[in-house]
Amino acid sequence: MNDEQRLKLQAFLDGELPQREEREVLAWTQRDAEAAALLAELRNTRQALAKSEAHLSVPETREFYWSKIERELQKQEATLTREPRKSFIAGLRRFLLPASATATLVIAGLFAYSHMDTVTVAVVAANDSDETVVETAQAGSDATTYRDEADGTTLVWFSAADANPAGGKKPGATD
Amino acid sequence: MSGKDFTNAKDDALVKAARRGDMMAFEELVARHRNKIFARAFSMMRSEDDAIDLSQEAWVKGWQRLKQFQGESSFTTWMTRIVINLCLDQLRRKKRQRADSIEEMSEESGGMERQMPVVTVNPTERLERSELRKRIDDAMGKLSEEHRAVLVLHEFEEMEYKEIAKTVDCSIGTVMSRLFYARRKMAALLAELKKEK
Repeated sequence: MNDEQRLKLQAFLDGELPQREEREVLAWTQRDAEAAALLAELRNTRQALAKSEAHLSVPETREFYWSKIERELQKQEATLTREPRKSFIAGLRRFLLPASATATLVIAGLFAYSHMDTVTVAVVAANDSDETVVETAQAGSDATTYRDEADGTTLVWFSAADANPAGGKKPGATD
Repeated sequence: MSGKDFTNAKDDALVKAARRGDMMAFEELVARHRNKIFARAFSMMRSEDDAIDLSQEAWVKGWQRLKQFQGESSFTTWMTRIVINLCLDQLRRKKRQRADSIEEMSEESGGMERQMPVVTVNPTERLERSELRKRIDDAMGKLSEEHRAVLVLHEFEEMEYKEIAKTVDCSIGTVMSRLFYARRKMAALLAELKKEK
């Protein structure tokens, strides 16, 4: 008898075989004494085990046994009630950090933008020297400075829309 | 403390109350079924301390998962599955911690059961129920953890091969092989115990 046959015999006992195979195994056990003996042994063991599990009781009193469970449950309940507050603060922090960072950037940007006008004007004023043409790098304002050596005049054009709501160039003259 | 008397309440009512957070209703469930859950843990672990710890852990898990209990099986069956899974986890941890014994290795290879002679006389015939239980308990203690687990799941929990394979996380072939070995070993042990008596 090989392993497959042994396991098939057991599967037959446990009702795990399809009907066709069941009939085959039944016929086999009727003509093979070795198979019949093994099947009988397996059946006896199964019958002995059925409903013969030892009846055991917890070797502790009801109160003592429960007290450990209760302690654990209370510990977990306490953790659960603490967790939402913790997660609310964490959530608020998650929202506030990027919001405050964005706000800081916007404020810094606005400040730099408004400050750049002053810087440009200062540059223009400081470049009041011979043969100097200054073109500002200020985005949006598009200011250009031109110095005429013959007239000794410096002209500054601002083409930004907000610098001159009328749309034309706003000349400024120094010297 | 709710101050209610749950002594006469049915399991279903206790489960509903426990789901609403009534810990005393849950305590009544524990009191009613603690022996069965402890016994199952003991049959798997063969250690009283482990069985107490794991059965208590199972009750804690049961409380946490009460909302998942849909009533498809009885409450005790559901709790028994929880304790079985905890026992199997514990056995896996233990197995990882130690090197497998030579005996277990040869059992896994499936070679030993072929050498055992067939027990032709029923060794448990005409035994008193209490004596039979004692012998079976003794013999169960002599099986390896893997074989005992499969035998318990099949014979006591009445699981099919497929269900055992899923629970133990192995193939159906392994389940069949382990069950076969466990039964043959049990037969030999019961015959030996009969001779000793």
